[in-house]
Amino acid sequence: MAHSIRISYSACHGCVNCIKSCPTEAIRVINGSIAIIKDLCVDCGECLRACARKALGLDDDDWDLIHTHGVAEGLPDPTFFAQFGSFWLPEEAKKTLSGNGIDLLTDEAELAFDLSAYAAARIIDEMSYDQLPLISAYCPSVIGIIQLQFPELLSRVLPVKNPLEIAAELWRKKTKSYAPMTLFTPCPAKITLVREPMGKEPSSIQHIVSVRKVVHSLMASGVKVSRTEPPTKSGWRFPTWGVRGGETRHISKFSGKELTVIAVSGLRNTKDLLQQLELGRLRGVDFVECRTCDLGCFGGVAVPESRFLAHLRNRRIETEWNLSEKRAHELKELYEMPKLWHTREPIPSKQRLPLSSDLGEAMERMKQMKAIFAEMPHIDCGACGRPSCKAMAEDIVREQGEITDCIFKLREGISSLASQILSLADSQPHTIQKRR
Amino acid sequence: MPEPLDLEYDVVADDYQTAGEASNNLKETLKMLGLPSSVVRRAAIITYEAEMNLVIHGGGGRIIANIDEEKIEIKTIDRGPGIPDIVLAVREGYTTASDHAREMGFGAGMGLPNIKRNADEFEIETEVGKGTTLRTVIVFPQDTGKE
Repeated sequence: MAHSIRISYSACHGCVNCIKSCPTEAIRVINGSIAIIKDLCVDCGECLRACARKALGLDDDDWDLIHTHGVAEGLPDPTFFAQFGSFWLPEEAKKTLSGNGIDLLTDEAELAFDLSAYAAARIIDEMSYDQLPLISAYCPSVIGIIQLQFPELLSRVLPVKNPLEIAAELWRKKTKSYAPMTLFTPCPAKITLVREPMGKEPSSIQHIVSVRKVVHSLMASGVKVSRTEPPTKSGWRFPTWGVRGGETRHISKFSGKELTVIAVSGLRNTKDLLQQLELGRLRGVDFVECRTCDLGCFGGVAVPESRFLAHLRNRRIETEWNLSEKRAHELKELYEMPKLWHTREPIPSKQRLPLSSDLGEAMERMKQMKAIFAEMPHIDCGACGRPSCKAMAEDIVREQGEITDCIFKLREGISSLASQILSLADSQPHTIQKRR
Repeated sequence: MPEPLDLEYDVVADDYQTAGEASNNLKETLKMLGLPSSVVRRAAIITYEAEMNLVIHGGGGRIIANIDEEKIEIKTIDRGPGIPDIVLAVREGYTTASDHAREMGFGAGMGLPNIKRNADEFEIETEVGKGTTLRTVIVFPQDTGKE
């Protein structure tokens, strides 16, 4: 597995802010600069927020390079339309940007998100009480956290592809074009989703650029929202997914029953909710939506506009939820083609390696680990380059660290050595008179 | 055969804030031992519900987990009020939790039934006025932890 965080080694000073912020303890500081453990990183972007020196960034593509090659096929994330100082209706954005060499794939995105919500509603409607709640598959970081920390919940993840991926496939199907397509992403997680898709199927998307880069570049070239009054009504449903609860509302509107749903955002809420789900405490709930970013994708690290304003703009708009007859028919037809929207393979778990593959051996190492941990200062200072004393103890029994990596243990060692030297210095031959 | 591994957790009465820590801690430990995720989940549920029972009813107590190469035994010991009617207590939905506990979202009468459902062995010893000891066992699947 890869991750989509770029490290600037010249900017990194080896402070430990990022290590402590990581929800999966995926970061270490080795030899004065940081290292990310690829298998543990879920691309939540928390370390980018924690880094004061901007040593961590998004590993996205070069927008200027893509943009200079004729017309760019741009697949907009739902967050895209609230970034230009106002809410931009997708049809207006599409029209304006066509003059800037961007073909914005708004119609395909709308259809894909509709299809995703429609399929989800059908699946939930058919599930029995015991199989519910199902979990949203939209946020790739949430999937990563489930793979690592709640593998028993993987069977509850909605088996529907990410709608952005579906949108790309719909466009390819329609145009039969092989022109490269660029996704505008609000976060590193969606980069990894495209570059390392789950399962064997390659992504239909070629390039990924942050929403921030695209918006900044467009605004620099003078693009702005033409209308002065913000819109109050919109026929577009997919931009609502940018905010927490957007997906849930979309699915609920398409469901045949009154759904009981929970939508949370932020890492702490996500983990708490998943834990309660794992403990079997969420009976009677049909669907849960988790987003690791505060307020949903509007809180993503690669989004330029204030998440509070973007959220506000989105909330002000009344969305049309009733489907036209044509659209209803279209969705029914596409739903009959599960290859288009159903995930091909179950999501694998990504658990950490046990202390040993032999249980007896692992138990012995666990005892050693507990003994080592008991001797440590338990203040989780991070000076050893690890997120906690516990992680340090674990690294030692895994033979990936020394007890002297801990500066407190090192000091103790020096202190005991010093007292040994002192006592040696004191033990003089009997022929010499003892100093006072 | 290696010595069994013992883990002990103290649970404080009426402390709803830290309740769940024993369960979390045990879950992490079992994962590191490489036990199958189904075992880890069942042990986490048993510990969590047992912890809740200690917080809500038992006046606090201790959870002792004992792991060997074939099974995990989870024991909870309290010196609380004891359970007057066991048959009733393991019935789903039956609760004697205080209003305060139920306001916190606990005490839905699923604790003991949930424990029983997830354990391979389930024993309860209780005396009114003296306390309760609960012993549960999860047996590992046959090929667990063999190289």
